[in-house]
Amino acid sequence: MIDLALDGYMSALPEIFLALSGLVFLIAGVFRGNSGTTFLCYSAAFAFVFSLILLAGVNTGEAFSDLFIMDDFARYIKVIILLGAIASVVYAASFLKDEQIFRFEYPVLMIFAVVGMMVMVSANDLLTVYLGLELSSLSLYVLAAIHRESIKSSEAGLKYFVLGAISSGFILFGCSLIYGFAGATNFDDISVLLSGDNSLNIGVIFGMVFILSGLAFKISAVPFHMWTPDVYEGAPTSVTAFFAIVPKIAAIALIIRILFEVFPSMSEQWQQVVVFISVASMAIGAFGAIAQKNIKRLMAYSSIGNMGYALIGVAAATQNGVYSVLVYVTIYMVMTVGVFGIIMCMRKRGYAAESISDLSGLSKNSPVMAYGMAILMFSLSGIPPMAGFFGKFMIFEAAVNAEMYILAVIGVLLSVVAAYYYLRVIKIMFFDEAEDRFDCDIAFSRRAMIAISVILIVAFIFYPNIVFDGAMSASLALFPK
Amino acid sequence: MSDSFLIEYLPILIFFVIAGGAAIAAVAMSYMVGQQNPDPEKNSQYECGFEAFAESRSKFDVKFYLVAILFIIFDLEIAFLFPWAIVLGDIGMFGFWSMVLFLGILTVGFVYEWKKGALDWE
Repeated sequence: MIDLALDGYMSALPEIFLALSGLVFLIAGVFRGNSGTTFLCYSAAFAFVFSLILLAGVNTGEAFSDLFIMDDFARYIKVIILLGAIASVVYAASFLKDEQIFRFEYPVLMIFAVVGMMVMVSANDLLTVYLGLELSSLSLYVLAAIHRESIKSSEAGLKYFVLGAISSGFILFGCSLIYGFAGATNFDDISVLLSGDNSLNIGVIFGMVFILSGLAFKISAVPFHMWTPDVYEGAPTSVTAFFAIVPKIAAIALIIRILFEVFPSMSEQWQQVVVFISVASMAIGAFGAIAQKNIKRLMAYSSIGNMGYALIGVAAATQNGVYSVLVYVTIYMVMTVGVFGIIMCMRKRGYAAESISDLSGLSKNSPVMAYGMAILMFSLSGIPPMAGFFGKFMIFEAAVNAEMYILAVIGVLLSVVAAYYYLRVIKIMFFDEAEDRFDCDIAFSRRAMIAISVILIVAFIFYPNIVFDGAMSASLALFPK
Repeated sequence: MSDSFLIEYLPILIFFVIAGGAAIAAVAMSYMVGQQNPDPEKNSQYECGFEAFAESRSKFDVKFYLVAILFIIFDLEIAFLFPWAIVLGDIGMFGFWSMVLFLGILTVGFVYEWKKGALDWE
């Protein structure tokens, strides 16, 4: 019995280590009180690093009676998740000090959220999907509301919770439909059952669409995007950074795994849905951002749009498409780290300045920051030779190779619209009248993170193969020969 | 995809139509056939003959809510323990240690809530 149930638990070693360290940190934090917040943030960063090291040594294979799968795809996504989590928790350490939000639960919740996302990525069963999704979502709800004294933060937490609970309900309903009609919850079993003659069972299609809608909520794709701007604006900036950097990668990885491993026989059905979600997200992301005055809301619409681009690669339904999505989200993660680092630096006389017009004249007040932001904005709008260009290029190439010309053309046109608001930020920084300076006591850790992000974006063109090789082996893992 | 799947649900559709039709008919008939002589007394809200004294929703201390939530957590733990205790002979040492792990995690939560002062009434 014990051998059967614990087979291959070594595959889950990074998750087990993180979960245990989360529990230890919780006890340590509650005995030390809120004064240990900064220490716990850096401890959490070390826990992530150690988990990354463990991840490198973990063997591929299925574990826990096939509930859990560890393959190259999961490994690649987990590496990105952990790198993003390290950046977010390092940001949080200095941001919480700036804002005087001392809550030791913050890093602990981040650890649990990351454990949940890693379980999501490794899910090989609908139950594991739900387990991981809820563990990460519940932690994120609390994180959004962690600044209890701020009405906006509480509002963000409540909105996120209510809408997130509905989307979880969607996913559960979809899971129950699929279980009812296919008679299995294991991914391998369902895909075998669906590959036969009765592959187009209408109940299963309903279930798949419900699961897809629930996950579209998690990646804030249109029409499930309404929470994003409010939550991004209301949550403390370090939490917003975490939201933008990490959970979406896990959710899009889960979408890819479910669509390509469980429902490859229904690609005609889900392609329509994904194409619609993708086009709608790109459009809302592009047009919605134009009127924004708050930089966090701008980034919210930007992330809606970027998820739309990533979904183009999913809609292509080819191995090349998955490969391009993986490259795209990797580059997007690195760019978001840099942008949110700079947003956190926007402080005037000890208070956070969040309006886009606060950036005006930045090129004169602090040119280094202005040029860094300009590089990131150029990259986000997809201008060569920055990394963002290659991400978009590969997505569109995948769409063209799959003969989805119209989708690719719409994508290119909407990325021109989106370029407007990215370039507007640059225009405000370089050509508008100078405003008050930002406070210049920026933590070294934050400077380092921004610098790493900008350097990676610029240097990507010299060493693209690090990302390409990883993404290629990850995408091949989903397409057995 | 065959339509026979949908045919199986035809009785439910008919049921919906009849149920909806009956409800609409009841409302429509009373509206059309019944005599209506409205006056202010008839239209005013009626509650035991008195005007309402106060809001029916009253504020109460969040402490009660906290205790209720904490109670639910440990109540659920018991709900898991009962089936576990009954099949313990079949699931062996693995089942035993799984529950010990679960209880250990709950204990961490318990230590947290105790140290946080969630159990102090004052």
